[in-house]
Amino acid sequence: MTSGEDPSKGGLRGRLFLLGILFIITFLVLLIQLFNLQVVDNLFWEGRAQAVARRSEPLLAQRGLIWDRNLDEPLGMNINSYAVFIVPAEIEPLEPEEIAGRLSSALAVDKEEILRKLPSSWKNSWNPVEIRDGVTYDTIVRLAESKERYPGVGWSGKPYRWYNDSGAISHILGYVGDITTEELQILYNQGYANNASLGKSGIEKAFDILLRGSDGRIFRTVDVRGRDQGEAEEIVPPENGLDIVLTLDRHIQDLAEKALGPRKGAMVVLRPATGEILAMVSYPSYDPNAFTGPGPGSFTSLSLNPDFPFLNRAVQSGYAPASTFKLVVAAGLLGENQVDPAATVDCRGVMRLGNRDFWCHKKSGHGKLDLVGAIENSCNIYFGTMGVENLGIDIISEYARDFGLGSFTGIELDGEVEGTVPGKTWKEEVYNTRWTGGDTLNVSIGQGFLTVTPLQMANVLAAIANDGVIYKPHLLKEVRDTVSGQTIDRTEPEILRVIDKLGPEDWDYLQSSMRGVITEGTGIWAIYTQAVEVAGKTGTGEVGREDQWHDWFVAYGPWKTDDPSERVVVVAMAEASENYDWWAPKATDIVFEGIFADRTYEEVIEEWRRRRVWWSWDNLELPEPGHPFVFPVREEDEEDGDE
Amino acid sequence: MSSDRSPTTFLRLDIVLILSVLGLITIGIAFIYSSGVTSEGVLVSGEWFRQIIWAATGILLMATFALIDYRRWKQWSLPAYGGILLLLAMVLLVGNYVKGARAWIGIGPVGIQPSEFGKLAVIVLLAWWFEYRGRGKDGFRTWLSAIGMTAVPMLLILAQPDLGTAIVYIPIFLAISFAAGVDWRLLLFPLTAGLLMIAGILGYAWSEHIAQSSVSFFLLFTEWRLIRIIVPAILFLALLLGGGWFLFRKRIYLSLLYGYGIIAAAYIGITGAARVLRGYQMMRLVVFLDPQIDPRGAGWHIIQSVTAVGSGGMMGKGFLQGTQSHYRYLPEQSTDFIFSILAEEMGFIGGLLIFGLFTLIIVRALYIAFTSQDRFGTYVAVGISAMIGFHVMQNIGMAIGVMPITGIPLFFLSYGGSSLWMVMMSVGLLLSIHYRRYRN
Repeated sequence: MTSGEDPSKGGLRGRLFLLGILFIITFLVLLIQLFNLQVVDNLFWEGRAQAVARRSEPLLAQRGLIWDRNLDEPLGMNINSYAVFIVPAEIEPLEPEEIAGRLSSALAVDKEEILRKLPSSWKNSWNPVEIRDGVTYDTIVRLAESKERYPGVGWSGKPYRWYNDSGAISHILGYVGDITTEELQILYNQGYANNASLGKSGIEKAFDILLRGSDGRIFRTVDVRGRDQGEAEEIVPPENGLDIVLTLDRHIQDLAEKALGPRKGAMVVLRPATGEILAMVSYPSYDPNAFTGPGPGSFTSLSLNPDFPFLNRAVQSGYAPASTFKLVVAAGLLGENQVDPAATVDCRGVMRLGNRDFWCHKKSGHGKLDLVGAIENSCNIYFGTMGVENLGIDIISEYARDFGLGSFTGIELDGEVEGTVPGKTWKEEVYNTRWTGGDTLNVSIGQGFLTVTPLQMANVLAAIANDGVIYKPHLLKEVRDTVSGQTIDRTEPEILRVIDKLGPEDWDYLQSSMRGVITEGTGIWAIYTQAVEVAGKTGTGEVGREDQWHDWFVAYGPWKTDDPSERVVVVAMAEASENYDWWAPKATDIVFEGIFADRTYEEVIEEWRRRRVWWSWDNLELPEPGHPFVFPVREEDEEDGDE
Repeated sequence: MSSDRSPTTFLRLDIVLILSVLGLITIGIAFIYSSGVTSEGVLVSGEWFRQIIWAATGILLMATFALIDYRRWKQWSLPAYGGILLLLAMVLLVGNYVKGARAWIGIGPVGIQPSEFGKLAVIVLLAWWFEYRGRGKDGFRTWLSAIGMTAVPMLLILAQPDLGTAIVYIPIFLAISFAAGVDWRLLLFPLTAGLLMIAGILGYAWSEHIAQSSVSFFLLFTEWRLIRIIVPAILFLALLLGGGWFLFRKRIYLSLLYGYGIIAAAYIGITGAARVLRGYQMMRLVVFLDPQIDPRGAGWHIIQSVTAVGSGGMMGKGFLQGTQSHYRYLPEQSTDFIFSILAEEMGFIGGLLIFGLFTLIIVRALYIAFTSQDRFGTYVAVGISAMIGFHVMQNIGMAIGVMPITGIPLFFLSYGGSSLWMVMMSVGLLLSIHYRRYRN
C-alpha cells in the first residue's frame, strides 16, 4: 500500500495539488495586501513615516528619594541642573567656530571640545548634540536672555544624584551611573533607553525598578529631518520614581561609623525582634559625589586602591569568627545534651592532639572550668576538648548551619558572600585531603577553614537574644509615593530560620553566660556603658602573625527585657593591622552608650573622658569634636596576613 | 543499491530547496544585523553573530538529517514524541520565563524551546500513525487518536501560556489528515467550528471594546446564569440526537447531529475563550480590528509595523537606511517583526523575493510528498509544508496587519536558535525523503 502504483496515488495527487493551490492563494492574498501597502498607498505611509518617524522624545522621570527611618532629611536626592545641546543644522547662519566660541565662554567648556562633538556634515544633522551637563539655572537664564546670540542651542532639565551623607553609608546606598552598552543589551526590553542612568550598586541597584519610575514621552509632529511641524504636542507625562525608606537610623549609622573609626573592618547594628538593620558600617568607604572629580576620591583611583574601598566588609567578605564561634559550639553542647554543663575540664594552658600542641590564649592555664566559666574566659582548651571528644565536626557544622552560617542572609545588597562552614566532604572536595582531629579543634575555637560575615554573626546573636528565632535582616522599611507621602508597601518581619534544638533553659544558660563575659570574664575591661546591661562575647582571631589579630566583639542588650523590641544587636569586627588596639569591644561599648543614653559619638567620648574609663586614655591624643578618634597611622600600611 | 541508478549523489539532492533555504537564511542574518543598529548607527546587539552560529550548526543538523534514512523515524517517532512531552512538562515546572511565558528550558544563557521541536515530533508521529493504520475501516477511530496525539502537546503549550505556538499544531494536523484521505466531512467539522469560534471571539472583542454600546447577543457567552442553562441544554439535545441515531438508525439524525455539533462546539469554544483569554490577548484581538483603540499600547506594534512596511515603497529605502526600524520602536524586531524591517529596507521587491523563495520551498515540499516512495514520507512532507506555510501566512500577515499578533517566528529569517534548528531538521528530513524517492 505504499507504492506509486497504488490506485489511491491519483487521489493523493489531487489532494496535494489542492493543498498547494490553497497555500499559493493565501500567499497571493498577502502579496496583494503588501502591494497595496507599499506601492498603491505608499505615499500615504511614507508621509506618515516622515511625520511620525522622529516624533517622540523622552521626558525624564524624577528618581525617587532615599530616606532613613527618621524621614527628616533624605539620604539620596536629585539636584536640578540642565544639559545644554546644539542642533547642528540650526547653527546657520553662523559658522560652528563662532557658536563654539560663544558657548565656550558662557559654559566654561573648551572650544575645541565643542567643535569635536559636532558632526562634520553639520548642515544636515538634526540630531541634538549634548555640549555639557550639570549646568546651573543661572547660566541657563543668561543663555535664554540672549537667545538670538545662540542659534540652534537648546537645553533640557537633567537632574543629577546627590547624597547628603557619604562614607560608610555609601556602601549601603550605592550609586547611580550611565547605562553601559553591555547593560543596555540585557535591559533594553525592560524599557531602559541608551541614555538612561541606573543604580550600579547597593540600594540604588537593588530597588532601581522602584526608584527610577518610567520616563514620559513627548510626541511631536516633525518631518523626517527632525524639524518641528508646529502641530499640537501630545504628552505622556513621566511617572516619577517611588521613595525608599530604609530601616537605617542616620544617627546610629554616624555613631557606629565614628566608633569604628579609621580601622579596616565592619560594624552591624540590628534589631533582633524584626531583623531591621539600624546601621551597617564598612571601612574604608568612598564618596559617590566625588566620583567624577579628579584626585584620590575619583572612581578610577578608588578602583585601584589595595584596601578595596568598594568592598562592603559587613556582607561581602568572610572572616574567621574566632572565639565568637564558641557560642555556636556551646549551643551544640546544650542542644545535644551530651555534656553536663557543670562538668569541668582542667585547662593547663596546653593540650596535645596527635603529635601537636595546642595552646590556650592564657598559657598558664585557666584551671578547672565548667561551660559558663569556659565562655566567660573564652577557654580554648575547654572548647577544643569538647569539640573533638564530644561533638565532632559533623555536629558542629550542623549547628553552624542552623545558625545560618555558610548561607546567604538574603539581605537586599548584591555581592553577599556565604562564608564557609567546612566539613569532611568539603575538605576532600576542596583540598583533597582527609579531615583531621586538628581541623575539628580549629573549628571548635572559630579558626581554621571557618569563615563568616559580620552580618551572619549579627544573626547568630539575634538567635540567642530571641531564644532561637532569626528574622530576615533587611534594609527596606517602606516604599512611599514621593508626592503624597503615602506608604505603598512595607516590609513585614519575616522569620528566616528557627533553631528548635535548644530549650528555653538552654537559651537562658547561654544568655547568662554571655552576661558573665561582661561582668566576670574577658569583657570586663572593655564594656563601661551604664545605660544598658549588655551580654556579649569577645573574639580574637589569629592571622598567623605576631601581635596581629582580627578583632571581634558581638553583643546584644539589654540582656534581659520585657520588651524585646527595644533590644539591639551590635557586631564589631576590625581586621588585623599593625596598630592592633583591641578596638572592637570599645567600639561596641560606644555604640551601646550612644543608642541607650541617646548620645552622639562626641558626647560619649566626652563622658568617657570624664569617667576616665580607659586607663591608657591619658597617653593618647584626644579627638577633635566631630572627628573620629584617630590613632597615629604609619605611612606604609603593609598588607594584612589574612589567613 | 539505489545509488547505482542515478548518475551522482549530488544530482539527487534537491538543489532548488537547498538554495532557497540558504538564500533565506543569508537574508535573515543581514536583517538581524540591521535590526541591531540604532538610529545613531550604533550596533547594540550581537544577535546577528549568534544567528550565524545557529545557522552553521543548523546546516550541519540539516545534513545529518538528510543522511539518516527517514524511514528510521517510524521507529523513533514514539520515543521522540514521548521525550518532547516530557520536556514540555518539565518546562512548565522548571522553565525560564521569557516575555511572560514559561517556554524555555536550559542552563544559564543557553536554552531551547521544546514547543518548537514539538511541531516536528507531532508531524513524524502523525505520519507514522496514519501510515500504520492505513486506510482501514476504523478511519474515524484512527482520526480521533490522531486528535489526541496533537492535543496533548498543544494543551501543554497553551499552559505556558503560548497561544501562538499552540495554534500552529492545528493546520499541521488538518493537512496531514487531509493528505491521509480522512473523510472531508470529518475535517470540515473542526474547520467550520473553528472558523465560527474565531468569528465569535472577534465579535465578542468588538462588542466589548469597540462598539459604542455592547451587543446583547454576546451576553449568551458571558452571563453565568445564561451559560448555566445553555450548557446542560446543549448536552441534553446532543444526547437526544445521539439516542435517535441509536434507536432508529436514520441518517437524518447524523446530519442533524453534525450541523448541531458545529454550533455547539463553537458556542462552548467562545464561552471558554471569553473566560480564559487573558487581558493582553484580548487587547491583541481588539487592536487587530482597530489599532487606533490603543495606539500607544497594544496597537503600537501594528501601527509601527504597518507604517514601516508601507513606507518601504516599491524599491525600499536601502539596507540600514530604514527610518522606522532604526528608531527601534518595535521590540522583537529581530524575531517576530523581522519582516517589517526587511520590507522597509528592501521594499515590495524584497517582499516578492521572500514570498518567491517560500513558495519554492512549499512547492518542492509538496512535490517531495508526491514522489515519496511511501506514505510515511508523504505525510511528513505534507506536515512540514503546512507548518512552514502557516508560519509564513501568520507572521507576514501580522507584519502587514491582516492577522492578529501572535509571537511566532518567520522561519529561516527570524533570530532564534530553536526555531531555526527545528526547521533545518525538517528540511533535512525533506532532503532525505527526496533522496530515497526511488524504491529498490
